[in-house]
Formats: sequence, structure tokens, C-alpha cells
Amino acid sequence: MRMELKRITYSLMGKLILAIGASIIIGSMILGYLMYRNQEAGHIKEIVGFGMSFTELVKKSTRHGMLHYDVEEIQRTIEAIGTAEELKKINIFDSKGKIAYSSRKEEIGTTLTLDSPVCTPCHIGVSKPKTTRSWSISRDEEGNRVLNIIQPLYNEPSCYSAPCHAHEEGKMVLGLVDADLSLYTHDMGLKKQRIVIIAYIVSFFFIISFVIFTIIWRDVSIPIGILTKGMRRIASGEPYHAVRIDTKDEMGELARTFNYMAEQLSITKKELIEWGDTLEKKVEEKTETINRAQAQLIHSAKLASLGRMAAGVAHELNSPLTGIVTFGHLLQKKFSEGSEERQDIDVVIEQANRCSNIIKGLLGFARATSAEKGFLNLNNVINSSLNMVRHKADFFNIKIVLNLDEALQPIKADASQLQQVFLNMIINAADAMDGKGTFTICTRKVMDNGEPFAEVEFTDTGHGVSEENMTRLFEPFFTTKPVGEGTGLGLAVSHGIIQEHGGKILVKSKVGEGMSFFVRLPFHEG
Amino acid sequence: MSKGKVLVIDDEDIVLKSCHRVLTPEGYDVKTAKTGEDGLKMLEKKPFNIALVDIKMPDMDGIEVLRRIKGKWPQTRVIIITGYSTIATAVSTLKLGAYDYIEKPFTPDDILSVVKEALGQEVKKDMNYP
Repeated sequence: MRMELKRITYSLMGKLILAIGASIIIGSMILGYLMYRNQEAGHIKEIVGFGMSFTELVKKSTRHGMLHYDVEEIQRTIEAIGTAEELKKINIFDSKGKIAYSSRKEEIGTTLTLDSPVCTPCHIGVSKPKTTRSWSISRDEEGNRVLNIIQPLYNEPSCYSAPCHAHEEGKMVLGLVDADLSLYTHDMGLKKQRIVIIAYIVSFFFIISFVIFTIIWRDVSIPIGILTKGMRRIASGEPYHAVRIDTKDEMGELARTFNYMAEQLSITKKELIEWGDTLEKKVEEKTETINRAQAQLIHSAKLASLGRMAAGVAHELNSPLTGIVTFGHLLQKKFSEGSEERQDIDVVIEQANRCSNIIKGLLGFARATSAEKGFLNLNNVINSSLNMVRHKADFFNIKIVLNLDEALQPIKADASQLQQVFLNMIINAADAMDGKGTFTICTRKVMDNGEPFAEVEFTDTGHGVSEENMTRLFEPFFTTKPVGEGTGLGLAVSHGIIQEHGGKILVKSKVGEGMSFFVRLPFHEG
Repeated sequence: MSKGKVLVIDDEDIVLKSCHRVLTPEGYDVKTAKTGEDGLKMLEKKPFNIALVDIKMPDMDGIEVLRRIKGKWPQTRVIIITGYSTIATAVSTLKLGAYDYIEKPFTPDDILSVVKEALGQEVKKDMNYP
């Protein structure tokens, strides 16, 4: 209950009703009070006025009797007047305080002292009495209000010059008219009036409250409820739903603005989600690229360390080989040509030379010394390499297709080393094709990771290479050729040379269909 | 009367043995040293016409030995023994003051001809120059 009360006092409706209700009630109360007082004053003026004129009327109607000193006439008049409804009693006093005439016969002859309520209004204390009319309001024995009018009977020339000689000239006041008028009916009317006014005010309050309540409820509370519900829906992640408040007032405006905002938010949210997805995808791609690059680096590092080891071994081997070669030759000279011993020694020397070649090949692969680089045109190197082998028997039945980009810019490289690489490629292709097929060489400019490269493509239609052998292609001593044919160093050396130039070799192959080598060299210093 | 005094400096025994075996029958006075230090010490004792110096040695590098020899005994001609050379390395050794170079493994003929040339006893043949 406390909570409900609290909620009401905090709610808009509650606040408004409380504020307006309090204002109306207090306002009405103040208004009512002021009206009451105003009414009262006005009414009193009215009834006093009425009372005064009534008393004047009494004076006038008894004047004739008084002027002729006709006591019975005066009394009759008074009694007749006394029958008036509102008139409780009416007394006429003489100047000595004695009731001379009265609507209540029994009161005639009564003398009042100066301290009686009738006398005190004018006879205040010892000083000269007031000679004005006066009135007062009191309550009778039943509690109803009674208006008391006291009017002095002033001495006039017609009075003291009357034949009855009842009054002297010097006297100012000859007597009093004392009238008691009942205010009962008057008060009743007043009361009724007041009740009506209060009824009006209360119903006014309720009507106003009702009207305000209805308006606020319909035009403020309900739209606010709709809006709040809409906001909660959107906050909880639901897809965009328009809030329906179609009025032309501020609430409708608010709803329209809110809808616009919610729509924009939902669009932004969608964009953000998409962006997030794109970002995720981009991150995935980048991660893959980095992983691949890393794998390549590791691969290169392995190759490099392998190369260094090979170089070390090669150098070590040179010395013992020297011994074999030298002493082999010395022995050789000791035997005559054609002798069996000579032939045997020849074999020894031949194998020693072969060792030497292998070592030279190995050292070539491992070499890290800078080559003699100069600006050259790749196409020229290709042509000169081709020319060296074109006329060999291996190429007899092979169709050679050249697709060289004439506009290819020169690059900085070691001509003889490049030739070594290209020759290696060409010879490998010939071996793979087994003497027949098509061998294509293309040169072009390509972009690799945003950098420009000159690319030479060697494509053959030979037996190709399997997936697992692809990874080992550039390993030193790896070869798919039968034992004795080739050292397996060609590609390893080529790889070393190209890498030293800042380039790379890519391979593509399909078993049975052919193979492609892509030699990429950078345009600026590698 | 020897044809010439030859000092061979190499950390490998077999190389020293080979040079000695080839050159001595031809009439050369051959002395060997296993380190650069030893070789230089021997040079202190008596002069040599030719010094065959291995380029790659653990203690003192062949280049360093070459420099020292050229510094102190400029009349001694130094021939560098290399493992695998390119034109670049050849040129650099020659620039440093070597008279010639010879590649391992070498045949007896190789040794003889290079020594003979260095001693001015034979006209240089176009052998190692591309």
C-alpha cells in the first residue's frame, strides 16, 4: 500500500491531481471564505438598511398619533405593525427609559436602567450619550439571530409647538424606537445559498478533476506507456518496431522523433555488426597470410642453416680431397698408359673429381656472398640461356613458346647467376618432358603483396610432381631422378641465387599434366 | 742448389704433406707450418721466396698472415689456398697483395705451375682467369 501511494505521488497523474486538487480545494476554501465574509457584510448592510427603513416607517406611521398625543392611536399602530412576521417586538421608550408603547402590551410601563443593553449603545459611561441611530445583532432564546434597531425620536418644531405641550423646545431626544427584527428566514435563505455554492464548488472540483484526469490519461499517460514499452523492446535487442502515436500534439511529435532515432540506431547496429563480421574475416585472412609467411620464413631459415652446414662440411672435405687428388695423380704418373694399375688409379681420381663437383655445387647453393649485380633485361638472359641448349638433342621434339613482355623494365641482377638458374629450369623441364611436349616461357610484371616484381614463368607438359614432393623440391640433394643422374642440387642452388636477389620461386604442378615455375625478381635492389 | 724456398702454412696435415710431396722432388726447398704464428716465426728465422697460405685457418686467418708477410717481407710472394672462389674473392685477395691463388682440391700440376709462375720460371698460362 505504501508503495502504491509512493508510486502515485511520484507519477505524473498523481502529481497533477494532487497539485490541482489541492489548489482547487484551498482556492475554493479561500474564495468561499472571502465570499462568505463579503456576502455577510453586504447582507448585513441590506438588512440593517431594511431595519432602519422599517423603523422609519414606524416613526412615520406613529407621527400623526404623536403629534395629536393620541395614545390609543399610537398603541393601535404599534400593535398592528407588531403583527408583521419578522417583527419580534417593537417598543417606544420615552426620554426617561420607560416603555410608553409596545407591541407586547405587558411590557408597557417597564423602565430600563441605563446599563441595559438597549441603553448602553448610546449611554456609554458618564459622558454625553450618542444621539445617532444604532443597531445590533444578537441571538434570541432559540439561537436564531435577531436584529435590534434603536432609533431616537428627535425633537422637531412640529413636536414642541404642538397643542398638547408634551415636550419642551430644548430637549433633543424625545424618546426611542426599539425594534427587534427576526433574521431567521433571512439566515435560512443565506444558509441555503451557501450550501448551493459549496455544492457547486465541489462538483466543479470533481468535474475539473475528471476532465484533467481524462485528458492527461488519454493524451499523456497512455502515449508515455506506449513509448516506454517501445523503448524497452528496442533496448532488449528486438528488431525495430515503430511506436504508434498518431496525434498531432507533442506526444505524437515525440513518438515520431523516437521512431526516427530507433530506426537510425537499428541501421547503425546492422552496420556495426556487418563491420564486425568484415573485421573478423579480415583478421582471419591476415592471420592466415602471416602464418603462411611465417612458415615460409621457417622454411627459408631451415634451408639457410642446412646450407651453412653443407658449406662447412664442403670446406672440410676439400682438404682430404686435396690429398686424394694429389697423391692419386702422383701414383697415376708411375704407371704407364693402358696398364691395369693406371686404369684403377684413373677411377680413383675420377671419383675424387666427382666429389669435388658435388662440393662445388653445395658451396654454390650455400653461398651468401654478394653477386656481381648489374642492370639487365630478363628477356635477353632468357634468350641467351635458350640459345645455349636449343640445339641440343633433348630439345629436338619440344615445341618452345616464348611470351616475353617487351615493355618489361630492367632489373638489377647477376647475369651469369640468373643464367645458371634459367638453364637449370630449362634442363629440368626437358628432363621432365622426356623429349616431347610444349615448353612455354613468359615474362611479365606482377604485383606481390603490393610490391612490383618481374616474373619469368617456365611451364612444361612433363610428368609433373606430386604434392608431397613439392615441399621438398628445393632441398639440397633431393631429386626424383634415378640414382646417378643429377646431383639434386640444381633447384637448391637456383633457390639460393634467387633468394639472394630478394626474389622467390613459386611452383605449380599437376601430376601427369605438367609443371610451372614462377621466378620472381624485385625491381629495386633486393 | 734449390729452385726456391717455399713455405706452406695450412692447418691440415694432408695439404702440407701433399705440397711437400709434390714440390720437393722438383727441387724446391719446402718448409711447413701448421699455424700462422709458426709460419711467421719461421719467416723470422730465414727468408722464403714463396708462401702458400691457406685462407681459412682456426687461429690466425689467412688474410691476416698475408698482411703480416707483405708488411714484413714484401719480397716473399704469397699464394692463397682457397676452398671455393669466385671472381670476387680472387680479386680481393689479389688486391690485398697476394700474387695468385689456387683452389682446393689441386692436382700436382696445379701446384707446380703456380709456384713456377710465381718464381718467374714459366710464362703465366691462361688457366684460372675467366
